[in-house]
Amino acid sequence: MPDRLNQILSRVAEETLGELAFIFSFFDEETEPVPLDDAVAASISFTGPFSGFLVIVVPNRVLPGLTENMLGLDDEEKATLDQQYDALKETINVICGNALPVISGKQALFDMGTPKMITASAAIQEAVRKEDRPEPVSSVSLILENGQCDLFLFVDGEIPTGADGVGPD
Amino acid sequence: MAINLLIVDDSAVMRAMILKIIRMSDLSIGETHEAANGREGLDALDQHWIDLVILDINMPVMGGEEMIDHMLGNPETKDIPVVVVSTEGSETRIERITKKGAEFIHKPFTPEIISDAVRNIIEKGADHAGST
Repeated sequence: MPDRLNQILSRVAEETLGELAFIFSFFDEETEPVPLDDAVAASISFTGPFSGFLVIVVPNRVLPGLTENMLGLDDEEKATLDQQYDALKETINVICGNALPVISGKQALFDMGTPKMITASAAIQEAVRKEDRPEPVSSVSLILENGQCDLFLFVDGEIPTGADGVGPD
Repeated sequence: MAINLLIVDDSAVMRAMILKIIRMSDLSIGETHEAANGREGLDALDQHWIDLVILDINMPVMGGEEMIDHMLGNPETKDIPVVVVSTEGSETRIERITKKGAEFIHKPFTPEIISDAVRNIIEKGADHAGST
């Protein structure tokens, strides 16, 4: 199931980055995770047939380009920090909203929370590598033109089998 | 005739994206207003003449479905066209939204999808005005 989840998450993220921000990206199994000392993250929680949260981590240098592409800014225009954080939150919102129905089927009802920024490296560490919590059920790295982005899907318990996208295995 | 637009989304970046797409199209747009949640959206409807609402679903304070319900319960706003732009993927919930008369556009979207939806609504309005 992790391979299938990784495929779903990477495909949805690639499509989202492409359509939302005109950023070409591709899944790379070999890539090391983004160094957290120069990164920002955003997370979104969800409840439904299964509950959990999804985290996106990107190097700081990726954010301005992501935001400026989403906003269609000219070369001389710069995105503010608030806009950059908002762009990352909207990106994780769209990835999560699109991934859940693929995992659980289009009839499944999920309620998603409000996306939250995580800017301190210690807090990002806590979000993605907390020792007393189970490992993410899916973690993928996508290579971007000027960096990469990592995604981590955590769920409470197990994902019910029989969902359209994932089970039964 | 130019139409007045209200964009309701908790993401300022998403509001700016939608507004930019509409402004770059050949649509005749008058005033544009923005709100960050359904509550603010209803306040904007109280204060301004709005011809079309573009609305997210998942927002803090008041979500899009609740805002639609309030609009439908108010004789002054029940006939304002609504386009829902959301990541929502549940067919059950999308059907519930469209049964309330709203059009549904899935995020992420292409610029053409947004501008075509607005154009269709403008044209429907013109047809309706011409037939009455």
